[in-house]
Amino acid sequence: MDDETKQKIKERYQRQVNRGERFWPDSIFKDLIVSLAIFTLLILLATFIGVASEPKADPSDTSYIPRPEWYFLFLFKFLAIYGQIPVLGKIEWIATVLVPGIAMLVLTLLPFIDRTPNRYYTKRALPISIMALVVVDIILLTLMADVPTVSENGSKLVGWLQAVAGLAIPGLTMIALFLMAFAFKNISAKTMFWMTAIASVLMIGFTGSVLAIAPKPTATAEGTVATTLVDQIFAGQDLYSVNCTECHGDDGKVTKIEGVKGLEGKEIPPINGHDVLYTLDDASLAEVIAYGRPDAGMNPFGKTYNPAGLSKSEIDYIVIFMRYTWDDRFEMPAEALKPLFPPLAEGEVPSYDVHIQPIVKRYCLACHRAGKENNNFLMDSYENILSTGDNKDKDIIAGDPNSYFLQVIQGHAIPDPKDPTKTLIRTMPPNSQLKPNIVDALIRWIMAGMPRTAEDAAKLTVTPAPATGPAGTPSVTPTP
Amino acid sequence: MWKKIFDWLDERLGLVDLYKNLLDRPEPQGNWWNTLGSASLFLFIMQAVTGIFLTVYYTPSPDHAYDSINYIMNGVAFGWLIRGIHHWGATLMVIVVFVHMLRVFFTASFKYPREMTWLIGVGLFLLTLGMGFTGYLLPWNQKSYWATTVGTQIAGTVPFLGDFILKALRGGSNLSALTLQRFFAAHIWMLPAALAGLIGAHLYLIIKHGESHFPTKDD
Repeated sequence: MDDETKQKIKERYQRQVNRGERFWPDSIFKDLIVSLAIFTLLILLATFIGVASEPKADPSDTSYIPRPEWYFLFLFKFLAIYGQIPVLGKIEWIATVLVPGIAMLVLTLLPFIDRTPNRYYTKRALPISIMALVVVDIILLTLMADVPTVSENGSKLVGWLQAVAGLAIPGLTMIALFLMAFAFKNISAKTMFWMTAIASVLMIGFTGSVLAIAPKPTATAEGTVATTLVDQIFAGQDLYSVNCTECHGDDGKVTKIEGVKGLEGKEIPPINGHDVLYTLDDASLAEVIAYGRPDAGMNPFGKTYNPAGLSKSEIDYIVIFMRYTWDDRFEMPAEALKPLFPPLAEGEVPSYDVHIQPIVKRYCLACHRAGKENNNFLMDSYENILSTGDNKDKDIIAGDPNSYFLQVIQGHAIPDPKDPTKTLIRTMPPNSQLKPNIVDALIRWIMAGMPRTAEDAAKLTVTPAPATGPAGTPSVTPTP
Repeated sequence: MWKKIFDWLDERLGLVDLYKNLLDRPEPQGNWWNTLGSASLFLFIMQAVTGIFLTVYYTPSPDHAYDSINYIMNGVAFGWLIRGIHHWGATLMVIVVFVHMLRVFFTASFKYPREMTWLIGVGLFLLTLGMGFTGYLLPWNQKSYWATTVGTQIAGTVPFLGDFILKALRGGSNLSALTLQRFFAAHIWMLPAALAGLIGAHLYLIIKHGESHFPTKDD
């Protein structure tokens, strides 16, 4: 750039400055308004949207689908689209290093590439058109980032549409723009801007069709994240009930495993006492749960050995539950001490939804679910409780106090009808006795005909005659 | 009395000169797009302030990072607000810095005599992205852990140097406590120090050359 041009630029700037404004207060005033708006926006976002809770990092969970931060999503999508190109697509570093590297280099060296003194937009049709295409492409690639390049039925159509919208149209348009700018020098800026606009509309159209035919993302039921101590204790209680009761019992004091395939008769230390809780810290407890104790018969529960195992967060919840329930150095928060189910009034009939389901989840589901030894009696849903099991005809009979189910929970094993010396069903749960209020709820439920919803149960409830008095006060002992 | 104090201070600090040189400057007719630079600076300051507060409770170790963030969100008074602002501020800062760069590109403000301002600006943009990348790992949750795994893997595809870069970023061949520690160091010391220095240079150049004017037909 020669001195004459430099002089001209300086003079032009001086003219603009002379009919301009003062930095203080004019420019600063505008700056402050924008900063204030941003500050307000930040407060609103932090208050009303906040930060979503995520489960703790789990290096052994290889099934997790990784996604970068949203502002790198376009690169991620670009990489996926590029990977579809035959032959070239296999050379990964072209897309991960070469293309972004060249783009960053051009951006950095821009003042030394675009060296004309022209600033008005009609005199800069090529750079403006190219940058506009790049920005539109970045936005569209970000929007398409969640759509896979191969649909579930194996069709590659959606991938090709993405390649057209995100790679082919912008690429070809850029080449055409360069040709126009350098081969036909006298092309008008208007033509180039129109071309860019048409290409952008086409890209938006193809992206729209990709988003339209893309399968709607199904809300995946990821394990919920418990953030408060009380929620963590509840989550730990539920996980403990399903995963640990089978061997350790609902109160953790079992010393001899019964009724568990492969571990029958194994002697184990109780896990609710000082020996375990005082000698192992949280991290060691979590490790025992995750990796097991092969010499002591403890199976591993983490994802390292079993992709469907417990996540790091879930194991942490179990440890927290154990601490606050059995470790006498920790005090259970008052809010976590709510009863398992609302206490029953006299004559009230419990329902599956409100009363029975929590009981089953806490005391039965550990064994009575698919893949366990349980005479095929599954208790994971209302229907299964009533219709599965080898003895389903005699298990649960509405109104019959001799139902097998009611017998075994009250401590009466069922003898085998063919060979009275053997037991067909032993008492349940195998290693402990249910609390009286729980047995009472189960008896009332079956005697009344197993109502499912609270409304059904309410219809069956018999209001006691007021004269009866407080003699038959139902048990209201809360269970921890 | 006040006059006396002011004069005494002015004699030693040069307040009037400061006012004349920094604030009472003529500028070309302003444009709302020109506020994006100061908005970026404002966001940087917000991130610095909220970030400093967060380090009071945050622990950069795989055993405690997740729980310390959980404590900030649920145990510390207004911790959720500080973290919320820091989280959303990061997103907004990337957007605002990027749009600021686009504005400079489209009005060709990077041309003579502001080439160096542009070069430093590109550096600031890259550092902002680096802050986003390193900060994302710190909560040590599933999302951040796997995003960083993939991010560092991509850096590892560089021909010849890839393996070295991967190991330098992770502090070993796998993501570990070392990775978290060095991302933390980069996030709170190295990158902010570089950012602050470059912001200083950027501001100096803006004062030296003045804000560029919106291009007219003559330009």
